[in-house]
Amino acid sequence: MKNQFPIFKKYPDLVYLDSGATTLKPQVVIDKMDEYMSEYSANIHRGVYALSEKATEEYESVREKVKSFIDGENGEVIFTKGTTDGLNLVAFGWGEKNLNEGDEIVIGLNEHHSNLVPWQELAKRKKLVLSTELSENTKLLAICQVGNVLGQINDIEKIVKEARKINPDILVVVDGAQAVGHRKVEVEKMDVDFYAFSGHKMYGPTGVGVLWGKKNRIEEMEPITYGGGMINEVSELSSTWAKGVERFEAGTPAIAEVIGLGAAIDWLKNIKLDEREIAKYLFDELKKLEFVKNFSSGESAVASFVVDGVHAHDVATILDRDNIAVRAGHHCAMPLHKMLGVEATVRVSVGIYNTKEDVDKLIVGLIKVKNIFKA
Amino acid sequence: MDDLYKEIILEHYKNPNNRGKVEGGIEAEEANMLCGDKLHISVKVEKGKVKEAMFLGGGCAISMAAVDMLLDKVKGMSLDEIKKMSGVEIEKMLGVDLTPARKKCAYLGLEVLKKIGA
Repeated sequence: MKNQFPIFKKYPDLVYLDSGATTLKPQVVIDKMDEYMSEYSANIHRGVYALSEKATEEYESVREKVKSFIDGENGEVIFTKGTTDGLNLVAFGWGEKNLNEGDEIVIGLNEHHSNLVPWQELAKRKKLVLSTELSENTKLLAICQVGNVLGQINDIEKIVKEARKINPDILVVVDGAQAVGHRKVEVEKMDVDFYAFSGHKMYGPTGVGVLWGKKNRIEEMEPITYGGGMINEVSELSSTWAKGVERFEAGTPAIAEVIGLGAAIDWLKNIKLDEREIAKYLFDELKKLEFVKNFSSGESAVASFVVDGVHAHDVATILDRDNIAVRAGHHCAMPLHKMLGVEATVRVSVGIYNTKEDVDKLIVGLIKVKNIFKA
Repeated sequence: MDDLYKEIILEHYKNPNNRGKVEGGIEAEEANMLCGDKLHISVKVEKGKVKEAMFLGGGCAISMAAVDMLLDKVKGMSLDEIKKMSGVEIEKMLGVDLTPARKKCAYLGLEVLKKIGA
């Protein structure tokens, strides 16, 4: 698997354990983007010449690929800049228009800031009530499918069923950033209204993401970015919007990146995504170290922990000396770290290229860290 | 093994000379939100020069060692001289090369010290 990723040719000893931040890029994705940029780098939708038509065809074909990839053939796909962008689009494209003073939104305090801060801001602007528990007044539920710090897997299908018992019209928006690329996602089976994810966390490029939505929900949205490509007619003083999802895709998009996303989806089609074995191995091996306190449960291949007596930054720096890449800090989840009672954690997150040997090297590295800081 | 965590840094981290609070001193504090390094410094100035200086707080080895070494260094200096100190001097004091990410850790002590009596 590692030989499909050119970065390992440059750094053969790299133990990359930060896929939760971004995944490494396979050659096939790089090649497909290169092909666009070298051979048909025209703008889409605008030209009537062959190169533009080829670019348009390649770009638009990714929409269908995405729908099929996440089992959302009956919904719509909006290309965004990433998960954060998608969640903001739901908050200010759907929420702004459809929620009213006193309406309740349910959020999670253990969520990534991108699925927390937009709702806080929306609540401020529209005088909404923020809550962490569903009630009859809940109009919107924002939740992640997989947590980025603790790696918890939320049973979205079950949660949506329960939410709809309380309010059948509740809008459910799911942050899928840590889910796609790690497991099969089935948006229609889960019956979510909106599902947001990023290309770069599923072996695609940065700068592109998807907001998938049910057709009727997308109808209920208003654009929040205006300009070329999203209009129908423009006169001196006002304009009308385009009919389709293009009204949410103003301006020239990240064409190479969307094409790269398509290549990542094609590549993943032939790979069985199953991290259970390495998730268990990671959890069990960390458990053997008495000086490590692991806050994650091992549900997925993510572990966030503290090393007794050593600050997370120092752990990460020492591991880096041995070519082990981990993340240290609060991982865009400050309220969660407050709940855990720690300032910062070290996060290890596994990708498709990681092996048990990588986990072994991590363990050796952690023992080294402890020895350096021995009192 | 590693030059970043050489003995002198670990020594200052594990056994700091200046941990504590100066009673009746001038105080300042700062935090690095990215990682949770928090620093509180208190200083007593006599005849324009720093007489006592102590720190409280927590953080990574680099930030804690740097502030401890810095407070050793500034005794006898004036606040004006301290304000003129630069990050480069901190690196020289630590005796190591720092990546941009860790520079912020190392400079935290100086940043707080410069806030004293500002």
